Amino acid sequence: MIDLIYLAVFLPLLGFLINGIFGTKIKNEKVIGLIGSGAIGISFLIVVGAFFETLSLPADQRTNFVNLFTWMKVGTLDVSFAYQVDQLSLIMALVVTGVGFIIHVYSIGYMHGDKAFWRFFAYLNLFIFAMMNLIMADNFVLMFLGWEGVGLCSYLLIGFWYDKDFEKSTTSAAGLKAFVVNRIGDVGFLLAMFLIYLFFDSLKFSEVFSRAVSFDVPEHIFMLITLLLFVGATGKSAQIPLFVWLPDAMAGPTPVSALIHAATMVTAGVYMVARTSVLYAMAPTTMMIVAVIGVFTAFFAATIGLVQNDIKKVLAYSTISQLGYMFLAMGAGAFSAGIFHLMTHAFFKALLFLGAGSVIHAMHEQQNIQHYGGLKKYLPITYGTFLVAAMAISGIPPFSGFFSKDEILWFSYTNLGFVFWLIGVITAIMTAFYMFRLYFLTFDGKPRFDEKQTHPHESPKLMTVPLIVLAVLSAIGGFIGIPEIFSGAHGNVFHSWLSPIFKSANLKLSYFGAHSHFEEYLLMAISVAGALGGISAAAYIYLKRPSIAANTVERFKSIYTTLWNKYYIDEVYDATVINPIVNSSRSFLWKIFDNKIIDGLVNGLAKSISIVSSLIRKMQTGIVQSYALVMMIGILLAFFWIILSL
Amino acid sequence: MTLEIVLFVIFALVCLVSGILMVTRVNPVISALFLVVNFGSLAGLYLTLNAQFIAVAQVIIYAGAIMVFFLFVIMLINPEHEKRFLEYKPQLKIFAVAIAVLVFLQIAYIILFSKPSEGVSREVAASVKAGTIEQIGRELFTKYVLPFEAVGYLLLSAAIGALVLAKKKFK
Amino acid sequence: MLNNIQEFYNILPLIIIGGLILVSLIIEMYSESSEKILPWLSIIGFLFVGIYSLVEVGRTSIVLQNMLATGGVVNIFWLIFNITAAIVCLLSINYIKKYGAYYGEYYIIIQTSVLGMMLMAGAKDLIVIFLGLEVMSISFYVLAGFNRNRSSANEASLKYFLLGAFATGFLVYGIALIYGKATTTSIDAISLNFSALSGNVLFLTGVLLFLIGFSFKIAAFPFHMWVPDVYQGSPTTVAGLFSTAGKAAGFSALIVTFAALFGGPHGHLFTPYLSAIAVFSMLFGSIVAIMQTDIKRMLAYSSIAHAGYMLIGLASGNIDGVAGIIFYLAAYSFMNLAAFGIVSILEGKEETNLDLDSYAGLGTRSPFIAGLFALIMFALAGIPPFAGFFGKYYVFIAAIKSDLTWLAMVGILSSMISVYFYLRLVVIMYFKSSETEDKVSYTASEIIAVVIAVVFVIILGLAPGSFIDLVTKFL
Repeated sequence: MIDLIYLAVFLPLLGFLINGIFGTKIKNEKVIGLIGSGAIGISFLIVVGAFFETLSLPADQRTNFVNLFTWMKVGTLDVSFAYQVDQLSLIMALVVTGVGFIIHVYSIGYMHGDKAFWRFFAYLNLFIFAMMNLIMADNFVLMFLGWEGVGLCSYLLIGFWYDKDFEKSTTSAAGLKAFVVNRIGDVGFLLAMFLIYLFFDSLKFSEVFSRAVSFDVPEHIFMLITLLLFVGATGKSAQIPLFVWLPDAMAGPTPVSALIHAATMVTAGVYMVARTSVLYAMAPTTMMIVAVIGVFTAFFAATIGLVQNDIKKVLAYSTISQLGYMFLAMGAGAFSAGIFHLMTHAFFKALLFLGAGSVIHAMHEQQNIQHYGGLKKYLPITYGTFLVAAMAISGIPPFSGFFSKDEILWFSYTNLGFVFWLIGVITAIMTAFYMFRLYFLTFDGKPRFDEKQTHPHESPKLMTVPLIVLAVLSAIGGFIGIPEIFSGAHGNVFHSWLSPIFKSANLKLSYFGAHSHFEEYLLMAISVAGALGGISAAAYIYLKRPSIAANTVERFKSIYTTLWNKYYIDEVYDATVINPIVNSSRSFLWKIFDNKIIDGLVNGLAKSISIVSSLIRKMQTGIVQSYALVMMIGILLAFFWIILSL
Repeated sequence: MTLEIVLFVIFALVCLVSGILMVTRVNPVISALFLVVNFGSLAGLYLTLNAQFIAVAQVIIYAGAIMVFFLFVIMLINPEHEKRFLEYKPQLKIFAVAIAVLVFLQIAYIILFSKPSEGVSREVAASVKAGTIEQIGRELFTKYVLPFEAVGYLLLSAAIGALVLAKKKFK
Repeated sequence: MLNNIQEFYNILPLIIIGGLILVSLIIEMYSESSEKILPWLSIIGFLFVGIYSLVEVGRTSIVLQNMLATGGVVNIFWLIFNITAAIVCLLSINYIKKYGAYYGEYYIIIQTSVLGMMLMAGAKDLIVIFLGLEVMSISFYVLAGFNRNRSSANEASLKYFLLGAFATGFLVYGIALIYGKATTTSIDAISLNFSALSGNVLFLTGVLLFLIGFSFKIAAFPFHMWVPDVYQGSPTTVAGLFSTAGKAAGFSALIVTFAALFGGPHGHLFTPYLSAIAVFSMLFGSIVAIMQTDIKRMLAYSSIAHAGYMLIGLASGNIDGVAGIIFYLAAYSFMNLAAFGIVSILEGKEETNLDLDSYAGLGTRSPFIAGLFALIMFALAGIPPFAGFFGKYYVFIAAIKSDLTWLAMVGILSSMISVYFYLRLVVIMYFKSSETEDKVSYTASEIIAVVIAVVFVIILGLAPGSFIDLVTKFL
């Protein structure tokens, strides 16, 4: 099955081609949905097969390469469509195709009746194709191809309902914002790639990483490379300072938010850092920066999440916050803990989004949680599964989020220090609070909508079954990574599976300092207690005493409005970056530089070329003798050259 | 001055003069006749180079068969119309001649200053033997069998082409 | 003489094409409907030979008393020629009916021209190169003027013939001078002694004349004058064959002749000459193409420019350059074939609809054909990810490696100029409204031929490395 992995990559492309080219002709939604999700389903089975085959191999032979074809080859630059099947890429592929398949199935129900049903599935398949290239690639260029591909699909899908209004502008503008912000990150990635080729003479992961250890390259180069890569990661994974696009990306259909902007694409930055962990290990300063940015983003996004009223916005900020946790793990050198959180997050955040989609569906596109309430009797399955996901993200044992989040907190305590842990725990408390604020306002309490006009009803089976599957995964997904203190002799299965990937990075990063089991139990207890506290606070405020919420808003008006307006980050960017650029473009670049200088140059050049061209054309008289004469003149000159050169 | 050189000079002069006359004549029949003379003198040059078979073939095929055929064709079609072409743009003609002369001078310069005869064997006996029909036949069917077959296809394609262009009835 | 059965297998492609010509001739003589049978017979033969060449690519050998090489690069060229010819035949089925040359001989002459090309690519002796060139050229002269009743075709054929004979004269003179110094026509023997010979001006003049003869065949400046007139006057499908397989054959002969020198100490001996004609071909082709209003003339000038890009590869005189040219030739063959194919589809009776303005509104009239044509124009302009981009990329890289960065810069400049006229066609197709609302009618065989060519363009663009790998293995 390992040798067939390219099928898992290219089947989604086939699905894209079929639906993209013949979509308008097929018309039948069932056929289109079957092709779209079938392609992903088969991919998933192949990845599962490859996973078990890899599992059956000895631990030191679990990295395999599947070379499909040579793409470009010039001198030492050899870029192939080659896939690296190893522990890390397989975990990612399982998540992408698995969660992807579930979301595809859900979408058949969710997108029912949409006028561009075929286009939606074509884009989704294209996205999976690009994402698979990103994660399976064995070199930076192919990874970059996937990286750009997912960016393109993200853009296309955010603006899927291009004729719909979104907030103050259109969904297309939201898509554009995501695309442009991502471009900034991409420049970082590209520059990093140039530097890597310059210093290591290769763009193949395996070669670069072995050379990174053996070549004598100064540390500041590693720092530069990793920082540039991290700029790429902040763009794709919505970290400070490039996180502003993700909340706007919620303009897309909800399954898109679940698949691309929660479970898979936004984690590409985390994956990339994990993939290049060796390089990061050589640059401790970057590691610290990654950790700081990560923990700060986690905290910062969580505070904004506290006050948002749009169900999808809350989830979007929660995604940014959870991604921050993952980068915190990367910065702490706990790469496998970060990947573990990536996986569990994919389960519960996809579930939250799909649940939100189900609610939005039932409430006729109403997204404001202040207009929900008491939905649990109308939407029993959505309610149940949403609760599981909320517990998981809040870190309540034994749900999956507990294991992964706690591990990150533990490593940030041991490897980075108390402050990181403290901010992490405060963020966790806030997470529990806003998630349950969302939950209580939506499902509990009394309905705050007109029950006579709106009759919410549970979604069809095509949508609820995926919810249940994801709920099961969110509930038990954490057990594959039970920390050592619980599992004892078995150790952490997830870690030992991934450990060969991060071996050389971990060798470089040796963290000292003994920590007792007691400390670990204590910290764990504190964070669980904090999460429970957050939940009870939410329950108390939003179920028992709604007045407290209103009073707090009144008393801390300025803080509230700052949070409500997302710290005015968009406005700050507008004032400091965007407006100056737009204005100078308009006044100088467009009206003077472009219109006068460039256009003048181009037009002048084009005109002079035309004149030259019409002059030369006269040579073409149509008379054979004169043609022969021209040839003779050529020969004459050639002879002159050979006589003079000897 | 050996006999070889005397013969060479005679044949070469005839060859050159007849060539120039052939190009400059207005009447195509006369041109063709000068071409026959040119071919004949070429055959003489081949003989001085000990290439007997080629010399004979030159006389029989070119000077004999082909040129006779040529003359028939020229006489059958009315050649008077062709005169006009030669008068086209005389100043271009002068320029062309100048260029041709320059190229000729260049080649002459190159040949004179490159010692072409260095390293070439001058074994007369061997070259006599190489020019015989027997030797040519042997070479043609052993070493040069591929070129020989290729020439076959060359003639075949030329024949098909000529037939298509000349005989096919077009709608 | 063949020494063993393996040699027979190695030259089987030549034997099959040779046999095909004779069988076709017999069919033509005795069958009433030869024009219906022969295209398919030719296509099957070409496809078989092409695929056979690809399968047997690893069997390199030199056969027939050191006259012919097989396997390796030679087989790759054979593959290019045969696939190109097969596509041309597929395109011609309907076209020659429309054009008024609906005869079986058409296909026989295409077969003989392919035989000539194959001889050129496989030649190990200057005589074989010359004969192959003549077999190809004579077939081309006939093809250009296939319909005797059309004055444009007559003119094209005659011009091609006269100038071609003129150029061949220089080629033969060059071979004579080479023989005069080297006393052999065997390419291997010449390249073995090249170091000793390269000091001799007579020998070098011979090589230069040889190059000049081929500069004519590949349509390089200043030996390009015939190209626009001949392409315009010939049947469109035939012009497609000239500009693709014909050009590839010319380059194949240059490559096999100079193969032993590339990478060696004498790789740069003719760089001044080659880079000069490369620069002029590129700039001249691109600049003059801008002013053309006839699509076939525009493609003709573009073909001159492309010859210039390929010459950069020869001028760089290293293995990368040669591999780049071979890739470029394959890519260019399919691009241009698709372009000429579409032109032939759109061409009306009596050679109408060849004006650039007749392509107006094609985007709405026939979106599929317009889409294919636009894609081909992007590919020809060298916009990634299509094959045209990588062709240029490889030859430019080769030039930079040989310290000819200025040449690559000129190439890039010329590419920029050429974007103008390629994209102008796209603009005309999509943004200019047409007077007619006629949909384009086409037959299945034509559109399949074009689609096959386009698919090759895309595949070569997506996996250029695999092709380059295959070529470099044998260089």
